[in-house]
Amino acid sequence: MGRPRGFDETEVVRAAAALFAHRAYDGVSIDDLVAHLGVHRNSLYKTFGSKRGLYMAALRWHVENQARPLIAAIGEARDFAEAAHRALAVHGDGSALDLLLMAAVERAPADPEVAAEVTAVLDALDEALAADDGAPAPGPAGTLTSALLGLRLRARTTSSGAGPE
Amino acid sequence: MARVQIDGDTLVVVIEGLDKLWALKSRLTIPLSNVRGATHDPGVIMESKGVRAPGTHVPGVITAGSFHLDGERVFWDVQNPAKAVVIELADERYARLVVQVDDPRATVALIEGAVFRA
Repeated sequence: MGRPRGFDETEVVRAAAALFAHRAYDGVSIDDLVAHLGVHRNSLYKTFGSKRGLYMAALRWHVENQARPLIAAIGEARDFAEAAHRALAVHGDGSALDLLLMAAVERAPADPEVAAEVTAVLDALDEALAADDGAPAPGPAGTLTSALLGLRLRARTTSSGAGPE
Repeated sequence: MARVQIDGDTLVVVIEGLDKLWALKSRLTIPLSNVRGATHDPGVIMESKGVRAPGTHVPGVITAGSFHLDGERVFWDVQNPAKAVVIELADERYARLVVQVDDPRATVALIEGAVFRA
């Protein structure tokens, strides 16, 4: 509470987000977090309560600082092609959507709080893509979002798979 | 070895077998509102444990009982670190519990399901 934590919490959360985005939740151990984040194990538990607590903080950081700004940019795109271009160009490798993708696949089915975060972002993405001018969206609602996520998924497959370091 | 169960609004940790003797404790009950989370953490055994009081500590064999470190009291009951689960608490006698359970993944899911149910 009153005592300073002795580390930059935002920086730790940001680094954790990168780690979880590349290696998935189950692929990151507390040993990995302690080694990569430069935080003592006890501080980690004291601050975040659990690995899940840190993961939730990382996911929320990702949503606020990576996914939401990207969605705003997509909302200003002229058409889907431009939206897709913006989505895949952000942060060079398009990693602005990666933690979201991983969360959707891995944690959302098992964790209602993660599912709620992911759903909110997907809904915002639907809205942003619908707001783009150009031809009406093909197929049911969410098709463009799915196409965008699919493009990112394929990009991840063909990229070198370099880690956060 | 510990058995972790949820009894209404309470987390119950039952210390089983001879570990009761080493840990000098057979049962811990904690209101779920004071449970912050649970984590499977095989690497936690490598942490410094602090000062034992009271309990048993034979490094590499058994860590059981109350340990004091950095002004915190931590309860340990671990022989096989691969099955260690860390349960973080708030406003309790212990800052956290580090206990060995039969199925760490199921125990973490049980605790988190109870603590974070909407």
